[in-house]
Amino acid sequence: MARAFRAVAGRMLFGIVVTVLGAAASAHHSFAMFDTANPITISGVVTTVQWTNPHVYIELDVPEGQSARHWTMELGSPSILMRGGWKFNSVKRGDKVTAVVSPLRNGDPGSLLVRLTLPDGRVLGNGGPAGVGPGVAPPATATSPR
Amino acid sequence: MVSLVSRVTASAVALLTLIAVVHGPLHAQSNPRPNLTGAWAPLGGRGADPKVAPPPAGPIVLKPEYAKPYQDARAADAAAAKRGEPVASASMSCVPYGMPRMMSVASYPIELLETAGQITIVTEAFSEVRRVFMDQPQLPIDEVPPGFYGHSVGRWEGDTLVIDTVGIKESLAGYQNIPHSDRMRITERLRLVAPDVLHDQITIDDPVVLEKPVVYTLAYRKLPGYKMVEFVCENNREYVDDQGRVRMRLGGR
Repeated sequence: MARAFRAVAGRMLFGIVVTVLGAAASAHHSFAMFDTANPITISGVVTTVQWTNPHVYIELDVPEGQSARHWTMELGSPSILMRGGWKFNSVKRGDKVTAVVSPLRNGDPGSLLVRLTLPDGRVLGNGGPAGVGPGVAPPATATSPR
Repeated sequence: MVSLVSRVTASAVALLTLIAVVHGPLHAQSNPRPNLTGAWAPLGGRGADPKVAPPPAGPIVLKPEYAKPYQDARAADAAAAKRGEPVASASMSCVPYGMPRMMSVASYPIELLETAGQITIVTEAFSEVRRVFMDQPQLPIDEVPPGFYGHSVGRWEGDTLVIDTVGIKESLAGYQNIPHSDRMRITERLRLVAPDVLHDQITIDDPVVLEKPVVYTLAYRKLPGYKMVEFVCENNREYVDDQGRVRMRLGGR
């Protein structure tokens, strides 16, 4: 009985995780390599922004003592990000930003973005529901975004 | 003279009115086909209005010789994902999905375009394109070169667009990763269940692999004014290492 409950609870948890990630869902790979259960916060200076498919990437130099550690952040695709309020030039080289990220499980300095705080204080997530964004009319039928 | 012109004008107006009265409703009644042109976004089942939510998917019943390998592969995938080492997939290498998976990729919209004799379906993810040739007989499977989209023909049955597709490559991962043979046939029934909600009931029939057809329904919400975004897979940083693990290529400065 307990095992059955754990199985059901596990499936429910999986469903919730999938739903949460759904907004940022990739078209092309699993997120299992990222530790989504244990996000961390990193702050630093943007060195590169690649507004590309299948993913947008932001590179960041994060100060560590006298030096800096270089981090790579993977984001959703341009389409998914734009639906979440991003523009291709929302972040620029030289910007000082703070990011909450899910780090790679293997310890490498790579990550999946959860949310990014821009120099002006605006906070952007890692995507948005389909079709919701600037210039797009809200749905006529009330539904929960996927 | 003026009187004659007035009488002619009045007669013409009356005739046009009669034509409009008689033919207008007749035309409407004889043409229940909705115009599906436009962008549509996947509609999540959870939280959706029950009146427009898609029905639950039917069971997947494979023939015994396919069932165990399928279950073993699913279990291995789940275990690998749990270890944080997901199994590589074709899409991870930026290979498009093809039919039928292309019809539902994450939250990416699709676009339907109706033109004379053809309905074209374009997906935002990977910019995949299907062409549905209307009111033509389907080709024998053995005359269709196996591909990602096969050969699709369509017809209207009242308010429902019925699409028949054959000729999908055996190497493509199917719905829920089920295997399929070159005998697979996909039948879709697209119908508006609300003015802005479209259902696509998909039936996969494969006499070689399946004990019975698999049936599931995708739902979409219309996106008025949405402009499809380009998707060219130019910067793929995921790769498979020599241990078969999916890794992410980290960037330099």
